[in-house]
Amino acid sequence: MSEKITITIDGKEITTDTEKKLLWVALDNDIYIPNLCAIREEERPYAGCRLCFVEIEGLEEPVTSCTQPVTEGMVVKTRTPQVDRLVKTSFELLLSDHRLQCNKCPKNKACELQKIARERKLKLKSKRIKHLERTFQIDDSPESFALDPSRCVLCNRCVWVDRNVAKAGCLGFSYRGINRIITTFNNVELTKSACTQCTLCVEACPVGALYFKE
Amino acid sequence: MELLEGEKEVIVNYVEGILEEFDPVQENLVPILQEVQERLGYIPALAMEMIATALDLPPVDVYGPATFYNQFRLVPPGKYQFKVCMGTACYMAGGQIALDSFERRLNIKEGETTPDREFGLEHVTCVGCCTLAPVVMVGDQVEGHVTPTRVDGILLAYDAITDEKENEGDK
Amino acid sequence: MNSTAIENNYNKLKARAEKNLGSLENKTVIWVGTATCGRAAGAVEIKKFFEEELQNNDLEAQVLETGCMGHCYADPMAIISKPGFPPLCYGYLDEGLVKRLVQDFIKGDDPCYEYALVALEPNDIFPTFEDFPRGLHEEKIILEHCGFIDPEQIDHYLATDGYAALARALMMGPDKIMEEINNSNLRGRGGAGFPAGLKWEATKKAEGDIKYVICNADEGDPGAFMDRSILESDPHLVLEGMIICAYAVGASKGYFYIRSEYPQAIKQLKRSIKQANEMGLLGKSILGSGFDFDLEVFVGAGAFVCGEGSALINSMEGKMGMPEHKPPRLAVQGFRNRPTALNNVKTLCYVPYIISKGADWFNSIGTPGNPGTAVFALAGKVANAGIVEVPMGTTLRHLIFEVGEGIPRDKAFKAVQIGGPSGGCLPESALDIPIDFDSLQEAGAIMGSGGMVVLDEDDCMVRIARFFLTFTQQESCGKCTFCRLGTKHMLDILTAITRGEGEMESLELLSELSEDIKVGSLCNLGKTAPNPILTTLRYFYDEYKAHIEEKRCPALMCPELIAYFIAPQKCSKLCNVCVGSCPVEAIYNRDDGLKAIDQEKCVKCDNCLKACPTDYNAVIKVSPPHLVKEMEEAM
Repeated sequence: MSEKITITIDGKEITTDTEKKLLWVALDNDIYIPNLCAIREEERPYAGCRLCFVEIEGLEEPVTSCTQPVTEGMVVKTRTPQVDRLVKTSFELLLSDHRLQCNKCPKNKACELQKIARERKLKLKSKRIKHLERTFQIDDSPESFALDPSRCVLCNRCVWVDRNVAKAGCLGFSYRGINRIITTFNNVELTKSACTQCTLCVEACPVGALYFKE
Repeated sequence: MELLEGEKEVIVNYVEGILEEFDPVQENLVPILQEVQERLGYIPALAMEMIATALDLPPVDVYGPATFYNQFRLVPPGKYQFKVCMGTACYMAGGQIALDSFERRLNIKEGETTPDREFGLEHVTCVGCCTLAPVVMVGDQVEGHVTPTRVDGILLAYDAITDEKENEGDK
Repeated sequence: MNSTAIENNYNKLKARAEKNLGSLENKTVIWVGTATCGRAAGAVEIKKFFEEELQNNDLEAQVLETGCMGHCYADPMAIISKPGFPPLCYGYLDEGLVKRLVQDFIKGDDPCYEYALVALEPNDIFPTFEDFPRGLHEEKIILEHCGFIDPEQIDHYLATDGYAALARALMMGPDKIMEEINNSNLRGRGGAGFPAGLKWEATKKAEGDIKYVICNADEGDPGAFMDRSILESDPHLVLEGMIICAYAVGASKGYFYIRSEYPQAIKQLKRSIKQANEMGLLGKSILGSGFDFDLEVFVGAGAFVCGEGSALINSMEGKMGMPEHKPPRLAVQGFRNRPTALNNVKTLCYVPYIISKGADWFNSIGTPGNPGTAVFALAGKVANAGIVEVPMGTTLRHLIFEVGEGIPRDKAFKAVQIGGPSGGCLPESALDIPIDFDSLQEAGAIMGSGGMVVLDEDDCMVRIARFFLTFTQQESCGKCTFCRLGTKHMLDILTAITRGEGEMESLELLSELSEDIKVGSLCNLGKTAPNPILTTLRYFYDEYKAHIEEKRCPALMCPELIAYFIAPQKCSKLCNVCVGSCPVEAIYNRDDGLKAIDQEKCVKCDNCLKACPTDYNAVIKVSPPHLVKEMEEAM
C-alpha cells in the first residue's frame, strides 16, 4: 500500500507516494537527472547506464536514483561534486565507445546523449579518455529502419520493448564485457530474424543506434 | 558455418535425445547446452533453435547464454584441444610464453582450430594445479612445468608437428 | 522431533561404518593422494605401480585413495601405515621409489626413513607435523581430514565422527542452531566476511514456505584451489554443513553451484550425495527427524561474475549471469524468487565443528571479531606451495616464511597477492599485519576466498596488475558502464605502460578511473576490479615510473622492454644447447664459434636462458632493450 510522503530534492519539497523510485519522482517534478536505461514500467530497474547518481543525506556514497525507493523526509541532492564526478566519468566512458558524427546522425538534436551533455555542461569529446576505435556492421535490411551497433549504449530499452510490448522475441544481448552487443539470434540480419518490423524498438532507442532511414 | 552432408541429421538426432532427458523449462538451459556440447563438441545454431522451441524461448535467449559463458563453443573444436592455464600462478610462471609457443607451432591463434580440425587452442582460467605452473591441459590430462621445449614435446606426442627440427639438428 | 530416534539412527550408521573400517586394522594400508593436484603429478600411475608391485611380490596390502593433505609441492604423495610403525608419509614418488618402498618397507621392515617426509602419529623415531615450523603455525579445523580419509567412502567420514554434528543439530532444533552460529561470530569465507549468522537469520525470517540453500563452489579466483581441494578430499563435511544450514533456515532443497573446470570434484560431490541419500542422511525425514531435504549439483558454465549472488541465480535460471541491483537481497528474494541462503564452501565446513564443539571453542581460535582459521591456497614463488590453514591473526610473514618456507632459489620477496582479481599486492612492509578480514582490507587487499600468490624480484608489478585487469575485463558481464568500459580503458593504459608507450599523466587517469569504478559499478566485480591497480600504484609506484620514464622493466619481465644477450666471455664454443632450445632459430653460431642472438627474430621466450648450463650462465637479460647494442659495442 502506498502512502503520501514528503521528500526534498535540491531544496524543493515534493509530495509523492512510497511505491515510487526517486528518479521518476524527480523527473515528474521537472528536476532533470541524466538517465538512459530507466524504464518506468519495469519493477526491477536495469541499473546499467550508471548516470542517474544522486546524493542522499545520511548515505555515505552516491546512489542510483532509478533503484532508490523514496522514504518520508528523504533529502536529495542531484548535484554535488561527487555526483558530478561520477556522472562525468560514466558519460565520458559511454562516449568513448560511441561513434560521434552528430551532423550525420539521424538522431541529431533528438539524442539523449546530447541532452545530458547540454544539461550537465559535459563535452561530447573527452580530453582524458581515448576513443575506442571499433568497427561494426550496420544492419539496414528492414525497410524503414536500421541498426548501427557503433552508436549503441547497451541501455536495454529496445530489448525491453521487444519482449514486453512488441512481444517479438527478436532482439537480445549476446557475448559479454566489452564485446557485449545487441543482436538477433545467431547475429542474422533483422529481416531474417523474428523481427516484425513494428519499429517500437526504434522509438525506444535513446540514441542513434536504431534509427529511421529517412 | 555451413553444415556438412549428414551433420544436420546427427545434430537433430542427438539434440532430440538430449531434450527428452530434461524437463522443458528455462532452468535447464545451461545443463542442456552442456550436454549438447559434451556430445557434439560444440553448440550448432540448429541445436540452439531446437532447444529454444522445446523450452518455449525466443532463440535469441538461447544464443545469449551460449555466447556469454566461457564453457560454450559455437564452432567445432579440434580433435585434440590444448588448454593453456592462465591462472595467476601459471601466468607469472610463463603461461603466456607457453601459449605463444603453441600459437607459433600450430600456426593458429588462441580460440582457433587448425584447418584440418585436428588441434584447437584455448586458454582456461585456473585448473587448480598452481604448484605445477605453468600447466596445459590436453583432454583431461594435465601437463605441468610447460616450457617452449615441453610444448614441442607435447605437440610431438600428438603428431601435431613433425620432427623435422630434430632431424635438422642431426645433419 | 524424536531425539532418541535420531541418536539411535546415527549410532547405528556409525557402528556399521566402524565395523566396515575395522577390517583395515592390523593391516598394511597404502593411501595415495589422488586429488586433482596429485593426479596432475601422476598419482594415478603411482597407485598402479603400488598395486602391480604388491601383486608381483605376492604381498597383502590395501591400496586406497585419499584426497589432498595440502602439501602439493611434494606430489605425488602416499601414506603407508603398517602395523608396528607410525603411519609415514612419502612425497615426490616415482616408479623406482614405489618399488623400493614395497620391497624394503612392505616386504621387509625398513621404512626407508631417508625418503619419509613426516610421521602422522607421535612416536620415538620420526618427527611429526608438530616438529616442523609449518606444523607449529598451522591449526587444522576444516582441513583436518583432508588427505587422511578416503573421500569416496562415506564410512571413512562417519568413522571420524562425521554427521555427528548433524544428529546433534537435528536434536537442538533450528533456533538453538541459529543461536550457536550467531554466537560463534562465523564470518562468510567467500571474500567479504559478512556474518554467516545474519545471512541465515534473514533467510530464516523471510516470508515464504519454500526456501533454498546454495553452496557457492564456483571458485573463480585464478590462483585459488582450496574449495576444489576440500570438495575432492572431504566432500561429506560440506554436505553436513549444508544440511545443517538448510535445517536452520527452513530450506527443503539445496544446490551445489560448482564450476565445470572441476570434473573430479563434481564426481565426488555427486557420489557423496548418493551415499548420503542411501544412508538416510538426505532425503525424507533425515535420521528419522521428520526433516526433508534434497541436494543437487548445478554445474556452472564458466563466468567469474557468477561469484556475485544475483548473477549466480540468473545463471541457474537459464539466463546470462548478469548481476542485479541489491536490494532485494537473496535472503529475501533469491532462486525462483524465494528466500535463499548462499554460502561459500569453507563457511559451511566450519558449521559441523561449531555445532559439535560450540561457539566458545570457535571464538577461542583466531582473534576477536575474526574467529576461526583462514585457509589459503599458497602458490607462486614459495617453497612449500599447497593448501594451508592457520588461525586468523597469524601474520603474513609467518605464513609465507614459516609455513611456506620462504622464497625458493635465494630470490628476494617482492609482494604477495591476496584475494585474486578483487584483491591487491602487498609489499614487504605489510608482512607484519595480521591475517584477518579487516586488517587486509585496510592495507588495500582483501581476504578474498583464499588465493595467495607469492611474487619475487623477477615478477613485474605492472604486469601483474595488467594480468588481473585482463582477467576482470574478460570476465566483466558488460551490463554496467563503469565495469564494461572502465576496465577496458584501464587495461589499455596498463598495456601501453608495459610496452613502454605509457605517459605519466595516464597514471593520474588510472587513479581517477579506479576511484570512480569503485564507487560507480553495479556489482562487486566492478567495484573491486581496480584493487590490483590501486595497491600496485600505492606500493610500487617506482616500477610504473621506470616503465614510463626509462622504458625499463625493473623485474626484466615485460617482453617489449627486455632483450636477451649472450655474453661472449662466458659462452663456450663447446656448447650448443641454446641453439637447439630456441623455438624460432634466432640463435646462431658466430664465426668464432660462440653464440649470438638475432634480436629481430627473438620472441623472448626465456628458453635459452633456462637452457644455458649453469657452468656458463652466458645468457643475460637486460632492460631497456637498447642496452644490448651498448654491450655489443663495448665488446
